[in-house]
Amino acid sequence: MGAIIKKEFKSYFLSPVGYVFIGLFLIMFSIFFYTDVVSYGRTNFEYIFYSGSTILTFIVPILTMRTFAEERKTGVEQLLLTSPTSITKIVIAKFIAASLIILITELCTMLYFGILCFFGMPHIQTALITLLGFFILGMAYISFGILASSITENQIIAGVITIGFFILMWFLPDFNSIFSNFSLINIYTKFPEGQIDIANTVTLITFTIMCLLLTIIFMQRRKSVR
Amino acid sequence: MIEVKNVTKKYGNVLALDNISFNIKEGEIIGLLGPNGAGKSTTMNIITGYIEQTSGEVTVAGYNMLKKAKKAKREIGYMPEGVPLYTDLTVKEFVTYMAELKKVDKKTRKEQVKKVIKETGLEDVQKKLIRNLSRGYKQRVSMAGALVGDPQILILDEPTVGLDPKQVTEIRALIKKFGEKHTVILSSHILSEVSQICNKVIIINKGKIVAIDTPENLEAKVSGSNSIYVTVEDKENKMKGIKSKIKGLKSIKLIKKNEDKTKEYMLEAEKDVDLRKTVFEKFAKEGITIFEMKKADATLEDAFMKIIEKGGKK
Repeated sequence: MGAIIKKEFKSYFLSPVGYVFIGLFLIMFSIFFYTDVVSYGRTNFEYIFYSGSTILTFIVPILTMRTFAEERKTGVEQLLLTSPTSITKIVIAKFIAASLIILITELCTMLYFGILCFFGMPHIQTALITLLGFFILGMAYISFGILASSITENQIIAGVITIGFFILMWFLPDFNSIFSNFSLINIYTKFPEGQIDIANTVTLITFTIMCLLLTIIFMQRRKSVR
Repeated sequence: MIEVKNVTKKYGNVLALDNISFNIKEGEIIGLLGPNGAGKSTTMNIITGYIEQTSGEVTVAGYNMLKKAKKAKREIGYMPEGVPLYTDLTVKEFVTYMAELKKVDKKTRKEQVKKVIKETGLEDVQKKLIRNLSRGYKQRVSMAGALVGDPQILILDEPTVGLDPKQVTEIRALIKKFGEKHTVILSSHILSEVSQICNKVIIINKGKIVAIDTPENLEAKVSGSNSIYVTVEDKENKMKGIKSKIKGLKSIKLIKKNEDKTKEYMLEAEKDVDLRKTVFEKFAKEGITIFEMKKADATLEDAFMKIIEKGGKK
């Protein structure tokens, strides 16, 4: 599994994907940082991450859309699936590699935390909880992106499915308040408030596991219907 | 080494493989032949564990492919059709990655990668990105990926497609060399290639195995007719009456008229009659000049066509 994580992680930087993802996130994050700190004069690190979660909605598909779709299209999945590595390990390895990119992106945002420390006294505990929440949300998004990539061999379709689903989850509570408990962004918003809500954390993690399990099932099923 | 027992594969209502069974012994080089859509790739994909059969059993090196997939896959080196590769990696990175995927021991990994790169003649390009290599080199890289980990079985799906004649010769030589130590299954459309490399042939048509034998036996089976081809100059048009003058000659058939005014005929003799000497003497006597004479030997291609046609008529 280590070999696949290493290779997948490296692939993000051998192609523009990793740079585009981190770059786009940091550009948007900088804009939010500027408006928050300069316009509103706030030195709360977590506030920027409220907006940061919406960036993820649009850029996670960049990371995930080619995970399985591209490999199936080019045929290289044959190399993976005929190797003595189980489908479960392959799916988990790809998930970990993409999650590491989110982690690196988060580490880059620590630079902004440093700037805030220069101007004021941001609450470190809330900032850390926010980062944790953001990472868990990122993992949930990635798991869905990987699932979408496993059901098609066209990476554009995988990307559109992923963005479509995230936008739907985002605006669902606007149609009916019942859906607010299903909106991933709504669930995440507790973290920037400095709370580790067990129910919300479990929901995000359960969603992640469910998506990964579905990916494994789809991949396994394709072996018999392919 | 490989046992395929009553394997059936269905895609919805379409029957891709219909209850096929065969055994492959250690050290054999097997050619898998068949027209497009016959089920060759499906058979290979099932043996490698890429897809699962609807029913039946596949055993590789003593391990059931469904129950002990990991162990079975460890014994297989697979070179898929179309040479899919991670083109953003260098040759060495790719072969190392394949070694890691196949769980080659860390202590011997470096050595193994080096050995395989040397064996496949990739030393000069090992630091190059795969995307910048020619088709022939990509084919070699794919083969290196299949060979690393020293698997007992090599499965090669159309290994020479798209190569120039020089590259084809090189790849064939490589396959022959590896066939000395490994069990090889090779699928190809080029029958002369199979005839040259393989010591056994499996012909599949419409999902069924229609023949399993050595190329020589298959050729012998179809060369039932006892014929010779002669190219002659027949200015006085004496070929018409020649049939009655040669004992044992069953029929004469004009095959083609050449530009140099010679004509090619097929002369069919009765069983166990060798016409060559008589034809040579009689034709000379009649004033028919022989330019060329050859015995009609069946090739693997003839065998393949006859077997497939026979299957089609059924």
